[in-house]
Amino acid sequence: MSEETESVGTNTTLSDDQRDALQEIANIGMGQAGSSIARIWGEFVRLSIPRIANVERQDIPAVLQQLVGEKNILAVRQAFHGQLRGEVIIVFSGGPPSELAELMGYDDTDRIEELELLLDVSNILVGACLGGVASTLGVDIGFSAPSIMGIDISPRDLIPADEILHSRALFIEVCFTLEQRSFACHLVVMMPAGEIARLGKELDRFLETL
Amino acid sequence: MPVSVLVVDDSPIARKMLIKALPPDWDIEITQAANGIEALAAYRAGRVDVMFLDLTMPDMDGYQVLETLRKEDLNCLVIVVSADVQEKAQERVLAMGAIAFIRKPITAEGLRDVLKQYGIVV
Repeated sequence: MSEETESVGTNTTLSDDQRDALQEIANIGMGQAGSSIARIWGEFVRLSIPRIANVERQDIPAVLQQLVGEKNILAVRQAFHGQLRGEVIIVFSGGPPSELAELMGYDDTDRIEELELLLDVSNILVGACLGGVASTLGVDIGFSAPSIMGIDISPRDLIPADEILHSRALFIEVCFTLEQRSFACHLVVMMPAGEIARLGKELDRFLETL
Repeated sequence: MPVSVLVVDDSPIARKMLIKALPPDWDIEITQAANGIEALAAYRAGRVDVMFLDLTMPDMDGYQVLETLRKEDLNCLVIVVSADVQEKAQERVLAMGAIAFIRKPITAEGLRDVLKQYGIVV
């Protein structure tokens, strides 16, 4: 994640109303993402209720582990920018990449193709989920190319606390589970404090329309 | 006699959005529930003519509500309102007794179209 500028006096936590609105908006984005992967894989996708949490820097690795479990994971990161900035960490757990490859219809499951596959799936999920959130809020965002963050690593080691530059992060966590397979995918959206304040203003604008 | 409407969603914002989208000229009494358990309690406690039901909820989800209503001889009109827009989700809820599926975010026009289609409003 890049360094943030955090202006003094900005509200870096969300109010209950803002969190509720964000949860519902994330839910809509998540539904669109779920529909996209259901169409690709021809399988019913179970959606979780999005969870929103303000997390302090030192707690980020532990919270991440709490969200995705104890088992080693594969993770991809993808940044978004524009009127809102942040980073999405996509965590795949519960099944080997070869199972994902089978789902995507890839014949050759060598390592490079497995990794490309994870990047493809990540791109689809992030685009549908975050794109839906941005569309509902009426803001423009773009996405960088996804990149592999870690392979077969402990969730606790995914983001070492000393590498986190932000004083606080907003976690928006959604989980997709395939009904017929032991496979789950978590999307964790992390936003630095200054961006949380900006998001809060966008949510207020949205709430005023209700 | 006003139509008794039950709005079931764990999100207060989603309930507010739905209630705002209801036709202003529709003579209704609105009750709200935050999950399936509250919805069934409201259903058993009194008259519910039309239920707007979310699918993804804690404690008891929309599928479980539909299943329970079916076992208890469903006699209210259930309209599912959900962000889960998978074709299979829509097929499942219609097979389980819902009369219609409305995708989130809900709009007043979309809601009125569904209500008109079933002769609930003119």
